[in-house]
Amino acid sequence: MKAVGARLPRYDGLGHVTGRTQFVDDVRVGKTLWVKALRSTHHNAAITSLDTSKAEAMKGVRAIITHKDVPKNVYGHLEGLGVPGDEPLLADGEVRWLGQPIAAVAAESEAAAQAAVEAMEISYEERPALFDIRNALDPDAPEIHQWGNVYPHYGPYNHRRVRKGDIDRAFDEADTIVEGVYRPQAIEQVPMETQVSLVVPEASGRLTIYSCTQAMYFSMGVVAAHLQVPLNKLKFVGGTVGGGFGGKVDTATETICALLALKARKPVKWRWTREEEFLVSSTRAPWHIELQDAVSKEGWILGRRTVTLHDSGAYARFSPYGLTKHAFHHSGAYTIPNLRFDGFVVFTNRVPTTAMRGFGVTSVSFAVETHMNRIAEVMGLDPWELRLKNANRIGDTSGNGVVLKDPSTVAVTLAAADRVGIELSAEYRGMNEEPRTGALLPEHLVAQQNLNGEGA
Amino acid sequence: MAKHHGRGFATIEYPTGMNQNGDPSQAWIKLKPDGRVDVFSGTVDIGQGSKTVHTQIVADALGVPYDWVTMDNTNTDSSAVCTGTFASRGTFIGGNAVRLAAEKVRERILDIASKELEIDPSDLDIEDGEVIARGAPQKKINVADVAGAATYNYGELISGSSTALKPFADVDDATGQVEIEPHSAISYAACVADVEVDDETGEVVVQKLVQVYDVGRAINPTLVEGQIEGGAIMGLGLGLLENSYPYYPSVKHRGGQFGAYLAPALRDMPEIDNVIIENPSADGPFGAKAIGEMANNAQPPAIANAIFDAVGVWLTEMPATPDRVLEALAAKREPTRDGKRVVFDEHLSLKAVSANQGEGFFGVEA
Repeated sequence: MKAVGARLPRYDGLGHVTGRTQFVDDVRVGKTLWVKALRSTHHNAAITSLDTSKAEAMKGVRAIITHKDVPKNVYGHLEGLGVPGDEPLLADGEVRWLGQPIAAVAAESEAAAQAAVEAMEISYEERPALFDIRNALDPDAPEIHQWGNVYPHYGPYNHRRVRKGDIDRAFDEADTIVEGVYRPQAIEQVPMETQVSLVVPEASGRLTIYSCTQAMYFSMGVVAAHLQVPLNKLKFVGGTVGGGFGGKVDTATETICALLALKARKPVKWRWTREEEFLVSSTRAPWHIELQDAVSKEGWILGRRTVTLHDSGAYARFSPYGLTKHAFHHSGAYTIPNLRFDGFVVFTNRVPTTAMRGFGVTSVSFAVETHMNRIAEVMGLDPWELRLKNANRIGDTSGNGVVLKDPSTVAVTLAAADRVGIELSAEYRGMNEEPRTGALLPEHLVAQQNLNGEGA
Repeated sequence: MAKHHGRGFATIEYPTGMNQNGDPSQAWIKLKPDGRVDVFSGTVDIGQGSKTVHTQIVADALGVPYDWVTMDNTNTDSSAVCTGTFASRGTFIGGNAVRLAAEKVRERILDIASKELEIDPSDLDIEDGEVIARGAPQKKINVADVAGAATYNYGELISGSSTALKPFADVDDATGQVEIEPHSAISYAACVADVEVDDETGEVVVQKLVQVYDVGRAINPTLVEGQIEGGAIMGLGLGLLENSYPYYPSVKHRGGQFGAYLAPALRDMPEIDNVIIENPSADGPFGAKAIGEMANNAQPPAIANAIFDAVGVWLTEMPATPDRVLEALAAKREPTRDGKRVVFDEHLSLKAVSANQGEGFFGVEA
């Protein structure tokens, strides 16, 4: 029997449905300490004083750390890709979002840890906050990030660009220009298992890190960088996660647990409450997308101008990556020969946003596909035919110069139409992915065809 | 006061693998003396079923029964690098890592079987745990005996390791153009949503979703359907219910518990009709492309288009919560027309909201 293609039962399914699978919170190690964090109560503020001495003296408290205890406090999730770090593990002198961690306690119970957090004395000097990305470059906008309010490191640019074809000509030649604004907003990943880790300091000097990360080697690199230790000092144990959806690519708890375990010389566990998961774990990003499409009366999309603002929250995390992915897919499942795209990662005083299922593309799929129906409505065209006409075809070149080898825009659209009984005209019903010819190869698409497979 | 029916659809595409590549997954495989197979991979199973899919890939790449294969993805000491379970890369890149490692193990099995059978390895196949001479099926040796001979006669650990890696694709920052393909494959999908909109309460109910996915090859159709249906309900949450900031961009009134943050539950699940298309990827394991992330991307625009079909208003701030539906119904906004320009949503635009009409964003060099 062949295994590939078979409806085999899930490898670990029986364990999951009988409750016998071991997730991180099921791991029990004797004398484990519990973690709670002191978190910012302001959206944007200077920290004018912090005194943990009363907390340190409390019964059951075994270790407290602040930014001073972190060998490398600022480390960026994308430093491996050349994006510099901007976010401290523990706040140092200022906070930029409500809930930002400032200090962490390891104590003999969760209640003792929480009591110690409440005994810490902190004072702030509040600063004006920025929440609306559309106002980030206004003359009177508060500057909230050390790089300015917009991420500045796309080479020499403060925005991710796509330039293709002759955009001005496309707009001159268009019969109609359809413009719209799309604002998909933030959601929480809502995994059943909240963020959790357990760090055990071994007699060998190594740390065993039980982790719910979606990316063990990535998280190991993050912990090693903050601790400034080689990878052989760390052993990540994981691989089975109670839901992630992108939220567990951030290394949320492991580094702080590791530092506390080293300081207390005891196993340390931190499991976030559901409230922490909702309020201080990173969310999907909100976006602001302005589309302008140059369309011919026959329904060819000749060109698209796009301005996208990506609400990154207080720090960069994975946002510069997500916006590039967004840029690469902003023409959707269609071949549009003339493009001008300018996308900005914008900082605000909200929880840093991060990866979530469909990262960077969910937003632009919503914008493009709603916009397609508006074009059809404005132009009096059939929305199925509009999509089929402009569909990606074999040999077409995408917005970033990739020659498409095996697109399926036509196949999935025709299959959906067929499944719901849409009657398309013969011209569209018989369409396939092969390169365009005849009336379906208008002048503006001739140069898109790259049948020799040249280009990317 | 009435309930209105509408239908909308969307067609989408989504890349497989980390954008711009450069994201290795590595795997290694060893045989026990009875031919049973131990796979070590760092790919995290976040519930999508990568352990199952990788086991299936190894079983067929080797030619042994599925239940011979054990998957260990539990730790970073025994497993090599996997960049992570994100970017819809588990089946394709993690799957290619175990497939390539299995192909190396297969070569070692054939080489030792060749010595035992005195037949050239190029004339041997492995099927269902047996090495069989092509054209002479009576000449065969069980993989268990091959592994035993390797261990006890030849002093060899049959093993193999491999890395799946597509090199990093540089992007020209001035033009956004790339030199090499910045993804491993592209998957496509279409979704048709049938909705009912109550013009008195603003509530939108999705009654049926028809969803078509091109996944290249469904390694495990049940798990593909799991992704499609799980993704669908997440897409409903995105399109209709969930918002971390209910009054975005305001940060007030965030929901800190399930009672105050409305995530979809099974009762919100509409009738679902799935169609899986297999347009194989040349580079994927057994032709597979990704399904994971894209599964929640098509429903929100399909729902927005269905709402327009039902009640004639565009909901372009997502999610389409009842208050937003009622506001749109009351406002009855029409696009403004200026020559050949047809402009929707002016009230939401940078021009309307920014103090300098969005100059910082619109004013960049051409």
